[in-house]
Amino acid sequence: MQLLRSYRLLVTWQALRKKNYLPLMMAVQTLFSLGIVLGYPLLFPTLDKTSIYLIATGAPAISMVSVGLVALPQTIGEQKAEGSLAYMRSLPVARLAYLVADLTVWLAIVIPGVVLGVLVGAWRFGLDLQVSPLVLPAVVMVALTATCVGYAIASLLPYMLTVIITQALVVFVFMFSPLTFLPDKLPGWLEAIHRVLPIQAMGEITRGTLAPNEFGLPLGAFLTLAVWCVLGFGVTYAAMSRRG
Amino acid sequence: MLLEIAELTKVYRTGIRANDGISLAIDEGEVFGLLGHNGAGKTTLVNQVVGLLRPTSGSIRIDGRDMVADPGLARRLCSFQAQAQVPIDGLTPRQAIDLLGQLRGLSRGDVQRRRERLVDSLDLGEWLDVDAARLSGGIKRLVAFAMAAVAPGRLVMLDEPTNDVDPLRRRLLWRQVRALADHGAAVLLVTHNVIEAERSVDRLAILDEGRVIAEGTPAELKGRLGAALRLELVLDPDLIDLPVSPFGLSAVPVGNRLMVGVPTDAAGPAVAWAESLKRAGSIEEFTLGPATLEDVYVALVGGSEAAPAQVEEVFDATAA
Repeated sequence: MQLLRSYRLLVTWQALRKKNYLPLMMAVQTLFSLGIVLGYPLLFPTLDKTSIYLIATGAPAISMVSVGLVALPQTIGEQKAEGSLAYMRSLPVARLAYLVADLTVWLAIVIPGVVLGVLVGAWRFGLDLQVSPLVLPAVVMVALTATCVGYAIASLLPYMLTVIITQALVVFVFMFSPLTFLPDKLPGWLEAIHRVLPIQAMGEITRGTLAPNEFGLPLGAFLTLAVWCVLGFGVTYAAMSRRG
Repeated sequence: MLLEIAELTKVYRTGIRANDGISLAIDEGEVFGLLGHNGAGKTTLVNQVVGLLRPTSGSIRIDGRDMVADPGLARRLCSFQAQAQVPIDGLTPRQAIDLLGQLRGLSRGDVQRRRERLVDSLDLGEWLDVDAARLSGGIKRLVAFAMAAVAPGRLVMLDEPTNDVDPLRRRLLWRQVRALADHGAAVLLVTHNVIEAERSVDRLAILDEGRVIAEGTPAELKGRLGAALRLELVLDPDLIDLPVSPFGLSAVPVGNRLMVGVPTDAAGPAVAWAESLKRAGSIEEFTLGPATLEDVYVALVGGSEAAPAQVEEVFDATAA
């Protein structure tokens, strides 16, 4: 009961803190999606049907991964550096309530960008996406894993290192991760790395539920994401509870 | 005693010994000041009490209960105003104070009553519904204080609460700090503003390089200085050798000034000595006044130029 009360109050607090940034964040995510769906056809004037579906479903996936693995860790790193995270950790609330409340608000930030990304892709390519009924839990799982892993990065690393690593992640996610293309396009060693990392699984689950008629939905991807999600949450929770 | 800290030592992984065998006790109804330079170990101490840092050794007890073993309980028993600004941009002071009160377990009605009283007492009414992102640093600190005071714990810890606050509202703030103690809380006040601390605290400890180098009431500490008066000499910028005090008490350089301890019965000779220095061109001007807690602090911790070893010698000589 106390946990729920704390959770509710902390969601209010964190949502109010981020309300000024929400429109900006949504605009950036929409621009991401727009950039991808408008930019790729310029690079590759003749796109086959599979490529079009890959781009249209890859855009919202990239948007989720970018917020979770880049924007979130940079924000949390900044909060660590300025001392505001320490203040929140000094409040008389369970660490679990704080962490789950913050993740809830981050999810709320991610999801509208995904919807906009899907709409932009469908509009640009004139697609009639027959989304799977699993799309909502799937998107929530992808977004939750991205935010948990992002949170763990910021919790473990010093701020400056977080900034450097997340900048590098932007390039890695955009150019070298199988979100807007299939993994067989990658060199063997990178393909092997992506079989372990969560990004490929995020792409597979997003496109498998947004365009189930075009792509399969490998169960292994859910397992990979579940492992990363639990790992990210566990590491973050441990770091949050740890006394230096 | 409500808060009992015994032999508290904190050594960071970098090897820095931020707290070195600190022992303190604070009672209910007491405002206790913790004074020291930046880096003296004040914030490290406070962060251990509230459970953000784990002590390397030593104990922290509130009401006899072990806070090192139960940091969750420590957070419930302590209200805390951190030195950093509170993360409330996007919230109004009304929302921020109410959220904190409810998080500490008060009902909406109780929070509202407490908040109204605090906002009136701190004269914050005109900002109550303004986004904190648009508030000045001083007003934000007052809001942070109100957040710590709306549902105070047994121990209230305030880290530099008056930073950036205007002089009029500082008075209002000190009145509320006293009110917290009067209602039964123990208040631990961290500051490097010695002048304000002298007027506001019941007892204090001075920290230097992680150790308590003096503890007592302001009057007791001033008594240890052995000088009821303080002669402040503004030195000539070209002066090479510092004037040697004829009174055998502390003489501590602070910037271009020399603070000289003077016994009460030597006021006349002190003025005569200072005038002779002025005639000789060694000093530009002087003032003679009652010794303050700042003099004790300066004698102990020194001005920015004084080496700690020298200062301790000065204090040992004066305390003997």
